[in-house]
Amino acid sequence: MRSLLNFLARYNNLIIFLIIEGIAIYLLATGNNYHNTRIVNGIRGLTRGIEERINNTRTYLNLREINENLVAENVALRNSIGRLVKRENSLFFSVSDSIYQQQYLHTSAEVIGNSINRQKNFFTLNKGERQGVKVDMAVTSGNGVIGVIVGSSENYSVAMSLLNLDFKLSARIKSNGYFGSLSWDGRDYSYAILSEIPQHVSVNVGDTIETTGYSAIFPEGVMVGTVSDFEKIGGDFYKITILLATDFKKLHFVDIIGNMKKTEQLELEKLFQ
Amino acid sequence: MINSILRFGLIFILLILFQVLLFNNIQFSGYVNPYVYVMFILLLPVEIPSWLLLLLSFATGLIMDFFSGSPGMHSSATVLAGFVRPYILRVISPRDGYEPGSDPSMLTYGFRWFLTYTLLIVLVHHTALFYLEVFRFADFFRTMLRVLLSSLFSITFILLIEYYRRRK
Repeated sequence: MRSLLNFLARYNNLIIFLIIEGIAIYLLATGNNYHNTRIVNGIRGLTRGIEERINNTRTYLNLREINENLVAENVALRNSIGRLVKRENSLFFSVSDSIYQQQYLHTSAEVIGNSINRQKNFFTLNKGERQGVKVDMAVTSGNGVIGVIVGSSENYSVAMSLLNLDFKLSARIKSNGYFGSLSWDGRDYSYAILSEIPQHVSVNVGDTIETTGYSAIFPEGVMVGTVSDFEKIGGDFYKITILLATDFKKLHFVDIIGNMKKTEQLELEKLFQ
Repeated sequence: MINSILRFGLIFILLILFQVLLFNNIQFSGYVNPYVYVMFILLLPVEIPSWLLLLLSFATGLIMDFFSGSPGMHSSATVLAGFVRPYILRVISPRDGYEPGSDPSMLTYGFRWFLTYTLLIVLVHHTALFYLEVFRFADFFRTMLRVLLSSLFSITFILLIEYYRRRK
């Protein structure tokens, strides 16, 4: 106790100085917009660097699993290439434009920030405008739909996750083609709700749900999940619970899909509304 | 005691008025903004307790902040100046030490001593102030130029005021 008092008496000058200077700096940081912004930006830059580093490590540890997914995806892609090449050879194109046939542009990106435990979840990707990522592009993983880009900066972009109360997706039952609206109810991160499917349609547990492509954001036929449960609610519609194909807890590499003909489609649709 | 409180109160008010009405309006090419109010910290008695010195420095800075609408900027700089003042006084003490109960003035300790004293404290204060104002190291040398030029003007004005103060 005495040595503490001695210490205080000896350095009281310094201590008072630190206290008052602390108050002054606090005033400086809170009272001036400019200084406040600089400080907040500095701190944010620091944490983003750390976040990215943590994510790098995690990616490395999960390489085996990621690799397996990539291999599976490769196989699926090769299969579809085979089918498509056959189909396109049989068609006749009079326009010799190399991008004429291509509607969707794929870019791969890495998830560097993600959340699943809020009501409005977003995740951050490490590609931005410089890499051609724009607002309203679709984001999918190898397994299925995961979100839509809602903002992009030079090198980063933020996407609204499917796990967001504001997220709406036009989806259909693959086996019979009836479509409804898919959204998340804010409860469990592995389930979503498909509504607006009329009750005369036959639904079975295990049916595949895929996107329709009506919104001009997602390509047609991207996997969303499978039916895990359905019930008849008031009115004429089913409330179908979908087991999502993607595990949102381990998103790493994703695919950003831009629809190159979106503007054209939207402009045409606008004419008739 | 009461007498000296009144005297320093008057000096304080005069310096603040000088600064706000006159020197704050001198902005020569964006490089020269003399801050003469620091003189108040210079003039306080040699034997003032350091806590009182710090509090008075803070008050001075705070009032300047009110007038220039920049909370914390001047106060950070003046508190730093008040903190280093005892050390500077110790370093540049005259051969026979300080006379008990004296003010650090040009009359008592001579022109050269007062010039060194003013130079050191004004430099500390201006460096802190200008770097806090820009708050980045990007324009490091430009800011340094501003510090040096403004210090030059501040010191000149402080010496002039001190000269006339004693003659009167």
